[in-house]
Amino acid sequence: MIQDDREKIFGKIRSGLRGYQKFTFDRSSKSPLKTTLAKNFGTQFEKFKKELAILGGEAVVLNGHSSISQFLLSHIQGSAFIYDETESQFEAVISKIKKSREVKFSSDFENNYDKREVAIFDAAISTCATCSAETGTIVIENQMRLPAALATKLFIIAEPGDLIPSLDELFTDEFRNFKGSNLFLITGPSRTADIEKELVTGVHGPKEVYVIFFQP
Amino acid sequence: MELESKHFKSLYKEQIKNQQLRSNLSKATLQAVDKRAESFEEVDFSFLRDEAKKIKQESITHLNEFLSQFEDMAQKNGCKIFYAQTPEKANAYILDAALKHGVRTIVKSKSMVTEEMELVPFLTRNGIDTVETDLGEYIVQLANEKPSHITTPAIHKSRKEIAELFHEKIGSDLNTDPKFLTTEARRVLREKFLSADMGISGANFLIAETGDVVIVENEGNARLSTSAVKVHVVVTGIEKVIPQFSDLRIFMRLLARSSTGQKLTSYVSLIRGPRAKEEKDGPQEVHIVLLDNGRSGLLGTEYQDVLHCIRCGACLNVCPVYRNIGGHAYGSVYPGPIGSLVTPLYYGEKNAPDLPFASSLCGNCTEVCPVGIDIHHHLLALRQEITSSKKSSLEKFLFRNYRKTMLRPGRYKMMGKAARLLSKTGLLRILMKSWTNERDLPEFPSISFRELFKSGRLD
Repeated sequence: MIQDDREKIFGKIRSGLRGYQKFTFDRSSKSPLKTTLAKNFGTQFEKFKKELAILGGEAVVLNGHSSISQFLLSHIQGSAFIYDETESQFEAVISKIKKSREVKFSSDFENNYDKREVAIFDAAISTCATCSAETGTIVIENQMRLPAALATKLFIIAEPGDLIPSLDELFTDEFRNFKGSNLFLITGPSRTADIEKELVTGVHGPKEVYVIFFQP
Repeated sequence: MELESKHFKSLYKEQIKNQQLRSNLSKATLQAVDKRAESFEEVDFSFLRDEAKKIKQESITHLNEFLSQFEDMAQKNGCKIFYAQTPEKANAYILDAALKHGVRTIVKSKSMVTEEMELVPFLTRNGIDTVETDLGEYIVQLANEKPSHITTPAIHKSRKEIAELFHEKIGSDLNTDPKFLTTEARRVLREKFLSADMGISGANFLIAETGDVVIVENEGNARLSTSAVKVHVVVTGIEKVIPQFSDLRIFMRLLARSSTGQKLTSYVSLIRGPRAKEEKDGPQEVHIVLLDNGRSGLLGTEYQDVLHCIRCGACLNVCPVYRNIGGHAYGSVYPGPIGSLVTPLYYGEKNAPDLPFASSLCGNCTEVCPVGIDIHHHLLALRQEITSSKKSSLEKFLFRNYRKTMLRPGRYKMMGKAARLLSKTGLLRILMKSWTNERDLPEFPSISFRELFKSGRLD
């Protein structure tokens, strides 16, 4: 077993900082945003939609289960992976998709499933923990990690109550205690500008990202 | 450890001749500067910078406490922590972990610390196929080169060069379209993700309060490198710890804007530990390797705030020197203004005696630094240290005499005559050859101002 250098490093840190004045920061609650968004869904949705569109994503508000399933079916060509939570919340939507597309659910996979089994989906459909209008960001909590990262298209079905105005409301006590081993923030499709600064979407993750706000 | 940065003078002379490189860099960095400025329109940059600086100041002046708190929390979350003073020790630990798990393929996302450690060549020498998965890093790995920018590793390469590289190394068609080239990389690397057993990533922040590892990225490769594997190894510097989860509201708004001109990167992963019992995927083990490698030596010195750096690369994009010579000229993992500081400070001035001079001292770097590091004044202070440590030099002799000349009118007159004569005969240029290699020597007028005034030929 390789012995680590913890004590040596801490010794160096203590000796370096000996006699050095410690600084304690009195955190400000002021937002760095120049303007704050009105606390109504319409304004926040418009901002979210605009930010996501800049990145190449799309946000829509749909009113009924049938319009959601219609939207999904018109965008999904191949098979779809559906997170269990989505199925339980949007049963009517999912049952329509099941009729004409091959679908799999989280519950279809055992622990230690073969990665290749989830690399084949055209789409992943999920709910989310929250969405931030400031940056067009979707936050996913406590779900299987790979399907949403490997699918070509990602669909998020959210409810108006999921939308928050800014990152100020995200990095709070509520989300500090997130469920599961990780919290994942998605802001548009996977992208790169590594070749001559030319923007290309769909490097390793989804090439297309859609957010559907369901308003009953 | 001897670094290439020792040979900066010969390296930059080679690079500056490369017109293609200068054109690539100019286009890319100027675009980045514009995007950065645009991205800060909605937020108060001064406020953010001030807050970020204070958070970092708190983190670093309490480093032992926050590091210890992070360690406790991460261990409670199920992570294994390893402290390494040197790259050798960190490399040995990672190799050991890989061998214990019978790892044959490793997928790696971007991490400057692993560049410091030369981890990829080390693992490859030890028989483990280790693949860089960030597109830029993948390109430089295929080209057997080193990254030339902190956030845009292949900034020095044109699309034509990349197309030729892909054609030669992975059998792609000779197509220069970045979309095509990216799709080719996706095809090859997807297979690597699916076959890899171990993933290695860096960390942008470590949160003491929760034990979270925060990784920001745009491509999705870090997400896959940390999820589609049995073992995830995080490799990072000890200075990356920040006190609170809520501090991310400041850093998330600063990092992407400063780095790529985005409001937020496409992906941010907050990793709290290995997969929980009820989770179906994610790594079964998470190791966090915390490297010192010279960092603790900065504590308590006037350069302590260099440890605040969040590796955004903004200072590179605005630097006129970097824009003309590129990252490879610095001979260091960390190029540009911040590299000219970090390299001599981490590895000793002897390893990078010329890097603090690789700056015009225009102050652009300090102006854009999101954590308020006074980069150009630190460079000036380092220059002073280096210069004063030299026992005797021609420069010192000349400046001493210059001072005397400027103080005595008779001597000034005599020296002026001598300089004009030497200039006329061409001898001055020969005598000052080493000075004029890097600077212009103005032509001396044939008569002095005093003579001109006396002759009455002045209007």
